[in-house]
Amino acid sequence: MKIQTTIKNLDNYKIYLQVEKSVHEFFEQNNYLKVDLPVLSPALIPESYLEIFETKFNYLGKKEKLYLTPSPEIFLKRLLVAGVGNCYYLGRAYRNSEPNSDWHNPEFTMLEFYKLGINYLEMAEEVLKLLQFISKKCHPRSSRGSSASFNHWEKFSVAQAFKKFAGIKEKELFKEKLFFNKAKEKGYNIEKTTYEDLFSQIMATEIEPNLGIRGCSTLLFDYPKQMASLAKLNEDGRTAQRCEFYINGLEIGGFCTELNDHNEQQKRFIFESEKRKKNKMIDHTIDKGFIKALKYGLPFCTGAGIGFERLVMIFANVKSIDKLKLINII
Amino acid sequence: MRVNAGNLKKGEFVTFQGEICQVQKADFYSPGKGSALMKARLKNLITAKNVEYAYKSNEQIEVLDVTSVDMQYIYKDQENLYFMDERTFNQSALPISLVGDISRFFKEGEKMFVYMYNDKPLTIRPPMSVRLKITEADDAAKGDTVSGAKKPVKVETGATVMVPIFVKVGETISINPETGEYTGRV
Repeated sequence: MKIQTTIKNLDNYKIYLQVEKSVHEFFEQNNYLKVDLPVLSPALIPESYLEIFETKFNYLGKKEKLYLTPSPEIFLKRLLVAGVGNCYYLGRAYRNSEPNSDWHNPEFTMLEFYKLGINYLEMAEEVLKLLQFISKKCHPRSSRGSSASFNHWEKFSVAQAFKKFAGIKEKELFKEKLFFNKAKEKGYNIEKTTYEDLFSQIMATEIEPNLGIRGCSTLLFDYPKQMASLAKLNEDGRTAQRCEFYINGLEIGGFCTELNDHNEQQKRFIFESEKRKKNKMIDHTIDKGFIKALKYGLPFCTGAGIGFERLVMIFANVKSIDKLKLINII
Repeated sequence: MRVNAGNLKKGEFVTFQGEICQVQKADFYSPGKGSALMKARLKNLITAKNVEYAYKSNEQIEVLDVTSVDMQYIYKDQENLYFMDERTFNQSALPISLVGDISRFFKEGEKMFVYMYNDKPLTIRPPMSVRLKITEADDAAKGDTVSGAKKPVKVETGATVMVPIFVKVGETISINPETGEYTGRV
């Protein structure tokens, strides 16, 4: 890797600053507390699909392992339990084993915020308000030259989107066996594949390119429970209260009604950390304090995460993250 | 050669749904749940259309063993560009629709690499830079002192290029044929 100075990106970088400023203004006006957080942590939440950066702190002949945080969730949820109330973080996050691409850098900027007392669909309105607020200050341009509007969401449930863009019926989406058969029929390689892998592959190939391209951003909601992450399940038992939104075919962010059942969380911790071991990923210290905090009680809330550079790409009308930066590590 | 899709690179050739395609773009993509993907844009070399496909990054795919042959661009007609292998004098035709916009910068007699697979031409390897003479240009407007100001000029192949206002008729310039941008005077 090398250091690249790109002063020609100055105009785009100024848009980055403008969007950053309006984000802070929005949250201040809406009574969210801005939280500065560490990026080095002695323990992490185990996640089997995210590799992390590990380092060592040396002092007085001792060595202690520290990890760069892949998301601020580990700290923000503790603060929510402690009673901080509505809060947000806009800062760095780190993910290893994912090379630079137009939409991702191993070191990136994350906007994560939590609002108490609302569910995922109410959060959709809050996110839209944020996008509208930024739009008033900056001028979004879509990749097709027309103005990208944030007046409303184009909404599809995941089942609707699979039917509309991939021709996969609802019963095929939710029954794993039928889903595999359908994928095979479509020409996907289903050997040594999980439902999650196949879902993501079809999503990226057939659905995502159709999202956020009709003049407004597209909101997908109600993901199959296999894709629940930390989201609460719906009463139908097969979908999770999770949303993601897309602009110009690119996922910009997502949010979910937070799972606050600590037993379920603990199960997930064990499952994920075993999967990490099996996949020979970095064996990091597990944050037991996080479960302890959840045991105490996470209030009913919804959390949202937005890839900040991806969001700014819309306002700067650029197709890759490196166009926003004055210094790139490539 | 079989490779992990995670190692797929721009410019390589693969068979997709039974037809030969060239990788236009390949980006590693981690959807957060489910294993990482390699999002590829593949150009079908028969239809010249692009298709997007996300491979699982650990999926094994066959990258075709394609050779590049040094050829001379000789002429074009309404539909095709014609190239000649200078050692064998064999001629190969490639549709203009496949080679795309960059062909407007090709000068007859220029040497170029053509990708061949099983003795059939697939497409060309675009040159990094082409040198062309300016045949038509307006003089810079007096008083136009804006730094970085540009004007359109016509080059010997008939294509139009934006150049700095100080560049004149008769000068040879270098152009990046893929972007159509002026890169300097020669």
